Amino acid sequence: MDFIPFLAQVTDDGLKAIALGIGAGLGTIGPGVGVGFIFGKVIESVTRQPEMKDEITSIQWLGFALTEAIVFYAFIFGLIAFFL
Amino acid sequence: MKTLKNLPTLAKVGLGFAALLIPTILLGIIVPSSGEGDFEPQEEFRLEPYITLELGPVDLSPNKAVLYLALAAGITLGLMLYIANRMQARPNRTQTAVETAYTFMRDNIARGNMDDAMARRWFPFVATLFMFIWVSNMIGFIPLPLNTGHPIEVGGLKLPTFAIYAATANISVPLVLTLMVVVAYHVEGVRAKGPVKYVKGWVPAGVSGFAAFPIFIIEVISQFVRIISLSVRLFANMLAGHLLILFMGGGLAVILGLAALGYFTLPIAWVFFLFEIVLIATLQAFIFATLTAIYLGEAVADSH
Repeated sequence: MDFIPFLAQVTDDGLKAIALGIGAGLGTIGPGVGVGFIFGKVIESVTRQPEMKDEITSIQWLGFALTEAIVFYAFIFGLIAFFL
Repeated sequence: MKTLKNLPTLAKVGLGFAALLIPTILLGIIVPSSGEGDFEPQEEFRLEPYITLELGPVDLSPNKAVLYLALAAGITLGLMLYIANRMQARPNRTQTAVETAYTFMRDNIARGNMDDAMARRWFPFVATLFMFIWVSNMIGFIPLPLNTGHPIEVGGLKLPTFAIYAATANISVPLVLTLMVVVAYHVEGVRAKGPVKYVKGWVPAGVSGFAAFPIFIIEVISQFVRIISLSVRLFANMLAGHLLILFMGGGLAVILGLAALGYFTLPIAWVFFLFEIVLIATLQAFIFATLTAIYLGEAVADSH
């Protein structure tokens, strides 16, 4: 297998692109779990106490937006590393 | 039509994909264009000044972002003043919508996170932030003829083309808003408690002695992290939303060199567009205003 000549062709830009892809991709795992957890808990709480639905909904969106933003932290810092 | 309805769900999904995939392949065979040079998604974020305007060392040239900011401020002011001046006892639909937004901002965002005296004083600030960011986000998803990226030449005149761009997708705007908020709540905290008591108030109640020092350091760091998290949250959400729409609406096809792929990804671009406009644009404005209210409320609260 021509692995060594292949490695010799790898450029810095290519490595940076791979790093951005892997970093941003791994960064989505945590928030993915978190967002799922939030909505799961919301369903659980609303089925337990349907009269609390309005209050829970507003907290739910706050939690959702705070968690979801973490994906973009990974992505933006990946981009910063990519371009600098 | 009736036979289509009776199909199982999996067959419907398959049909949907086939309806997209087959024309993509056909288009690719008929028009084997790479699409390169036709569409450059990164052009959206290039800020070229319309006019050069320099005051000594300060560059004041107005560009697309400046125009979007002015537009957002103008629309916010105009809309709110117009409705405030024509309040009627029997509201029409627009007035009802604005009144609902007003009640929501006052009761949920301001009073929900601050005590009454603080809510009365800072409600205008929080509500202005909410409305300004919301309008700024929303006009970011309307194609406006302000883009200097691909000018069309009509009789020697270079006319700008329609494109989407949001002032909040530029780090400077959220950063300035965040710095404003940070200064506001520190000043308010010092005014309510005095400088020494305010800084001491960062350490949670019940922590004393030797443990207080490392926790104090962590709290100082967290005050600075707030600047990053509050600004980058808004900026990154808007930037990523615009990037997703652009890449799905043709950018990905051009980068991969398969122009026909754009036909396949365009519906995904629409899905992202609707998702951004329905949920994210409003949600980010809400989050920014709510966190502002939380920080302000926390700065004057007796215990941490």
